[in-house]
Amino acid sequence: MFPKRFVLKRLLLLVPVLIGVATLVFSILHLSPGDPALTIAGERASQEFVERIRADLGLNDPIWVQYIDFLGKVVRFDFGESYVINRNTTVREIMANTLPVTLELALYGQLFGILFGIPLGVLSAVKQDTLTDHSTRVGALAGISVPIFWSGPLLILLFAQVLGVLPTSGRISSTFSVSPIRVTGMVTIDTLLAGEWDMFKSAVRHMLLPSLVIGVYSMALISRMMRSSMLEVVRQDYMRTARAKGQGAKITVLKHGFRNALIPVVTIIGIQFGGLLGGAVLTETVFAIGGLGTLLVEAIEVGDYPIVQGTVLMFAFLFTLVNLVVDITYSYLDPRIQQ
Amino acid sequence: MSTETLRDGEGETTSRGLVDRIRASPFLSQLLSNRLALAGLAIIVAMLVIAIYARLTLDLDVISQTQLGTNPNRAAPSLEYPFGTDGQARDLVPRVAYGAWYAMLFGTVTVGASTVLGVGLGIVAAYYGDVTDNVIMRTMDVLLAFPSLLLALALVSIFPDELGLWRAVAALTLVYTPRFARVVRGAALTVLENEYIDATVALGATDPRVLVRHVLPNCLAPITVQSTLNFGLAIIDLAALSFLGFGASAGTPSWGLMLSNGVSQGLLTGIWWWSFFPGLFLALTVLGFNLLGDGMRDALDPRMREAID
Amino acid sequence: MSVSPVVRERGRLVAGGGAVGAAATPVLVIGLVAVGGFGPLAAAETAFAFGGLWFGLALLGWAGSVASGRAIEAAQEHLDADTNWTERRSRRAMARIGGFGAGMMLVAPVLGTLVG
Repeated sequence: MFPKRFVLKRLLLLVPVLIGVATLVFSILHLSPGDPALTIAGERASQEFVERIRADLGLNDPIWVQYIDFLGKVVRFDFGESYVINRNTTVREIMANTLPVTLELALYGQLFGILFGIPLGVLSAVKQDTLTDHSTRVGALAGISVPIFWSGPLLILLFAQVLGVLPTSGRISSTFSVSPIRVTGMVTIDTLLAGEWDMFKSAVRHMLLPSLVIGVYSMALISRMMRSSMLEVVRQDYMRTARAKGQGAKITVLKHGFRNALIPVVTIIGIQFGGLLGGAVLTETVFAIGGLGTLLVEAIEVGDYPIVQGTVLMFAFLFTLVNLVVDITYSYLDPRIQQ
Repeated sequence: MSTETLRDGEGETTSRGLVDRIRASPFLSQLLSNRLALAGLAIIVAMLVIAIYARLTLDLDVISQTQLGTNPNRAAPSLEYPFGTDGQARDLVPRVAYGAWYAMLFGTVTVGASTVLGVGLGIVAAYYGDVTDNVIMRTMDVLLAFPSLLLALALVSIFPDELGLWRAVAALTLVYTPRFARVVRGAALTVLENEYIDATVALGATDPRVLVRHVLPNCLAPITVQSTLNFGLAIIDLAALSFLGFGASAGTPSWGLMLSNGVSQGLLTGIWWWSFFPGLFLALTVLGFNLLGDGMRDALDPRMREAID
Repeated sequence: MSVSPVVRERGRLVAGGGAVGAAATPVLVIGLVAVGGFGPLAAAETAFAFGGLWFGLALLGWAGSVASGRAIEAAQEHLDADTNWTERRSRRAMARIGGFGAGMMLVAPVLGTLVG
């Protein structure tokens, strides 16, 4: 077990992170050109309407007053109502519907990346400089080079249009008029919890391609890191000693090397999770899955500032939270870290 | 071996033949023996030829105009139209070819600008050290921790819409600068350890002179490697921003925009060629830069390699 | 009650950055008015937002170094890729930068109220 203090200390760090991101978002929005009230009201709106929005948003106050107000909102995680995209709905409500969508996608993508990336990396390292190694490495490089907005459409065209075995877009077949009871908001889990077998199958079929597309990138990164880390560990002295003691070379590699080689890979998993979130923005667009990413893009396009602020903070929160988990995993693998 | 690489970069060997110089440079000879890197180089050269050819022979206005009535609309690839035609009956071959010019041009500007900014910051940080170094590099570290596409998305909103693709270029330049600063700082520190720098300073050379004449030339190898690796990323990210609607303006033959069109209008109708050809060229170009960059990194002096990821 | 040397050390860094930030604010405001053609209040507000950029960045950097500093250090040691990054140096730099931003954010409203 980890000392509770260690975990608690890490959790407390979320506070400065969120205030930091909030301050950055606030400053960037203020420094960017354009009058938000005008953007929201539209170019042809009457002067009074623009004024009313300006008063609503508190834009008439000096910036320092606005900043304090904004921090208060951040603490309560309350960004008011959406102005353009979904009028009269609170940002919190909108995000409650879109967050699980992105979470589900990122979760399966990351799972795919770890489950395939780590074994591939180990395989590549154990069979260093063989054909297996070379093809894995070139494959990983290709995985990084192929953009999601190309592999996605091609897979859709192949599996949905040509073979007709998988659905094109969305999260669940539209033939199910009743949505499952909402527990987590993630369709694959909710349908399973409700025991709706057919719906569950439909949800899984919808998730397959998106998670594959988003997972390939993290698989490529993880396998590359795993390979170099594994080779590094094998070269170290204690490995030679272990081998000299007479155990089988490959078993030694796996037994002693694996855990140590995992340490830098775990750090990479945390760092690449940010890339995964960026990939989610693209994947959601390609597969027409309305998640946090498409929400952010749409909000930036139309200038729906409350939503921009909310989604950016949510992304920062997710990224930090994952790195927190990574940090805790890390200290489990390398106990020297926690003190 | 490493000091030899450094001296080679200094240009005192100009009198020797090219072949001799390549043979004498461990970096180049190792790179040239790497078949994957050579394949990458071949792809890049081919794309460059296509890009320049398209720029010189094609009229942007003509290929951007609608060709409805002249060409068959939404024609599938055939001998006459190898890549098919789009929803405005425009032939996709010249458009995809022109996309190569856009990718190379805007990629070069993005990578070039972030290289210049990064080199400036990195060299200054390494040379002056202490507080300057810490403030510059720690700021860069924080920026590095941000997911690049998300940071670029947040930054494009700062710049006005009218800028079109230049908006994406500006945002990505800011996103990439820290990578260059880190690499250059690492390389510059290695160079500064050499005794001859101390000697130059003792002989009365001024700071800018030392930096430009002695430190910068010896950092060129790692800078080139980082630029190459970053070029592929820049091309993907530029296309991604266009794909999401924050880059090229409608009608422009950029790969990202063509792919966006392929997704929004081609998926349900099964028009695969709208996505396939622009994406193929995009992916090939990026693969080319990644292959070459990877090979270059492997050929690099280990002391210079550590900061590049 | 005596303040521990660690806290005093950190306070000194933040205060040092804060002094620079406070001193830089009038310069920035006057520059914006003179060169950028800003109104005095708008210039003070821009200075506030500018300070906010640094303050936010530093908060993130500080939290990031504390959160994964040791992991990064150990990973670098492990991979033998010593990039001279240490958690302590990073935290100290962030204290300075954050102090700079906070200094601006404190002085800008004062200036803004005076001129506005």
